[in-house]
Amino acid sequence: MLKRLAYLALCACAPLHAAPFMDESRLQRLAADPYWIALGHYETGKLGGWRSYVDDERFFLADDGAHHPDRELAATVKALYEPASKGDQHAQCVYPARTRWLREQLHLTDLPTPDCIEYREWFQDVAPHSAVLIFPAAYLNSPSSMFGHTLLRIDQADVQSNQTALLSYAVNFGAYIEGNDNSILYAWKGLMGGYPGLFAFVPYQEKLSEYRSLENRDLWEYQLNLTPEETGRMVEHIWELKQIRFDYFFFDENCSYRLLELLQVARPSLDLTSHFPLTAIPTDTVKAVKNAGLVERVDYRPSRERELLARAEPLDKAEQQQVLALAADTSKLQSPEFTALPAPRQALVQDAAYRLERYRATGQERDPEQARRSFELLRAINRNPPPPLDIERPGLPENGHESRTWQLGVGTREDRAFAEYGLRMAYHDLNDNAYGFPLGAQIEILQLKLRQYEGNDWQVQRLDLATIRSLTPRNDLLKPWSWQVAGGLERVPGKHDDEVLVSHVNGGAGGTWKLGDDLLGFALGTVRVEHHNDFAQFIAPAAGFNTGVLWRNGLGNLSLEAKGDYFINGEVRRSLSLNQQWELSDSLGLRLSAKREFSQLATAQNEVMLELKWYNY
Amino acid sequence: MKRILLGTLFTAVSINAMAQAPGGPDCGWGNMLFEGQRGTPAHFLASTTNGTSGNATFGMTSGTNGCSTNAALTYGGKSWLAMNGMMNELSEDMAKGQGEALTTYAVVLGVAPEDRAHFAAVTHQHFSEIFKTADTTAEDVHTNTLAILKSDARLAKYATPA
Repeated sequence: MLKRLAYLALCACAPLHAAPFMDESRLQRLAADPYWIALGHYETGKLGGWRSYVDDERFFLADDGAHHPDRELAATVKALYEPASKGDQHAQCVYPARTRWLREQLHLTDLPTPDCIEYREWFQDVAPHSAVLIFPAAYLNSPSSMFGHTLLRIDQADVQSNQTALLSYAVNFGAYIEGNDNSILYAWKGLMGGYPGLFAFVPYQEKLSEYRSLENRDLWEYQLNLTPEETGRMVEHIWELKQIRFDYFFFDENCSYRLLELLQVARPSLDLTSHFPLTAIPTDTVKAVKNAGLVERVDYRPSRERELLARAEPLDKAEQQQVLALAADTSKLQSPEFTALPAPRQALVQDAAYRLERYRATGQERDPEQARRSFELLRAINRNPPPPLDIERPGLPENGHESRTWQLGVGTREDRAFAEYGLRMAYHDLNDNAYGFPLGAQIEILQLKLRQYEGNDWQVQRLDLATIRSLTPRNDLLKPWSWQVAGGLERVPGKHDDEVLVSHVNGGAGGTWKLGDDLLGFALGTVRVEHHNDFAQFIAPAAGFNTGVLWRNGLGNLSLEAKGDYFINGEVRRSLSLNQQWELSDSLGLRLSAKREFSQLATAQNEVMLELKWYNY
Repeated sequence: MKRILLGTLFTAVSINAMAQAPGGPDCGWGNMLFEGQRGTPAHFLASTTNGTSGNATFGMTSGTNGCSTNAALTYGGKSWLAMNGMMNELSEDMAKGQGEALTTYAVVLGVAPEDRAHFAAVTHQHFSEIFKTADTTAEDVHTNTLAILKSDARLAKYATPA
């Protein structure tokens, strides 16, 4: 009691601007408040206690603030009472979100009032009113983009009525990559947390051109129902994260996770991050945000490539040739072949030529000759403008099937019956339920299949580390390559008609063509290296082919494939396979697989399997 | 080492913000039409999966694509410099007579909602006077637009700095 009195006396005597006394239990209670935990990006440590995802001492006012929310809180309260003359360096200017919250919680009516010029100007400039979650969708020719990315757009009050989203800002969290790390090093360091993560605040327009033009990805814009007050709270906190380094891990502590945290700062009643214990895949993020009732409206912006293809779609063969001719030489605008076309067709052809020309220029240095051609086409377009493009909105990506898949199959191989149990961590193969995914894209990460033959005879059937296939159709205007890579363990025919588990890496490149609506044909040349116990060499190389068709039909996707591997040691392994998916529901699919395998080491083997796939979380 | 690199980058950013040239040296104010996309298609994974190349900026000079707002180029409360990353889109929209970049242009020039359709029609009609050559810069476009607006009875009022 005496001690308490002494404290009180001290408080009373202290100069005007002094931090108020806070008893220990009050301090602990406040420091454990979910909002304070969110502002400090704390998580419970693996050995108990707290640790912050922020890996930057500049973010903390207390020496051990990264591990002690309470000490950080005490240090913050103290700093709020520092002399106002510190101006922009004052804690109130550096930590506007902490300041607001502590002021409200502790009723700090006697705070000094520093003039936060930088922050005030920035905040006025941003003028936050509402927020939009941006999701650049997967790009077929880059299946790794299926994992996607999410960012936020901060809109001013009049953005909707004026349609000036191009003037808005985007909040982006990404790995900060220095120097010239190559792609493999990048992937490795990204997985292992070798890069710091940083928030960036950049014009949305820049992000748009990055995704729509450079990477040819469609963009989905989810208008959130955050109030101006909630949006403002989030933007206040973003200021606190200016140039602050976070731990960055590709799978969990990535862009999506950080954005979910921001939304929780905006609306404290939300609980979004606890749904992602292991990995945060951006489509799952979109789902979580949607399920929390945050989404008001969804807008779609097609990529530049999709616009070009949509413009060229109604053109016949001769007109497509005109497109190529105009893009190569604009004097062809006066050629009899072109001028003979009816004016509305001319409008389509020259617009397609302009789009093709800009498509080709993407990512290149400015070429004066190409700029001149583009400009000539623009002038022609100006004289005879085409009708606006009307592109049908594809299926919402977040309504596509869940990424983790459990599989239960029954089948026979020759005369032996088996059951097969599988789990795939991510994501989608050519036959999986198609809604929300582009036809011809496959990316699978970590798939394990165990097989139980009659007589309780168990074996590992396959372990895929990664399987990526990108079958993008070629046409007159665009000629992308198709490619695939895969690696892991799998069973192949061996001596005595055994199935031998081999480790392998293989890849291929070739072309895909659109044979009809929802029908693709592909042909790829392949190479493979394999470790096979029945081979004399430790590592056996092979070259081969992989060709087939992919057909989207009423039941689901069907694929029919032929494969061959010609090993240098003389082994020739070929297979024919058929897969038909029956899409039972959003989260269930039934697949019929039939395969016939040929090998020099064994007699031909037939296998048939019926497999249930449950797309579960 | 990491910290030194980061520090250097941020210093460079703040220098830009203080630069004297109109809009600052990196703002692209004098860029010609069809200037290459800023930056190269960044790292395969860097850009396709989890975000961005290292260029971690924090729009201190917001609404202006990295350009300083000190120069007196503001119309209707928003800086015209914000347009300068959209010259390609603007040229295309103006040639066609409609589009988001053209609407945005009308807004930053302070054109009232009821005059925007007319603005789109007039600039479409005078496209080749606003974008005179393939080497037209953002600055030319701005000057030429104001000249066109002045000669239109309904739009002339938007041609004088507010």
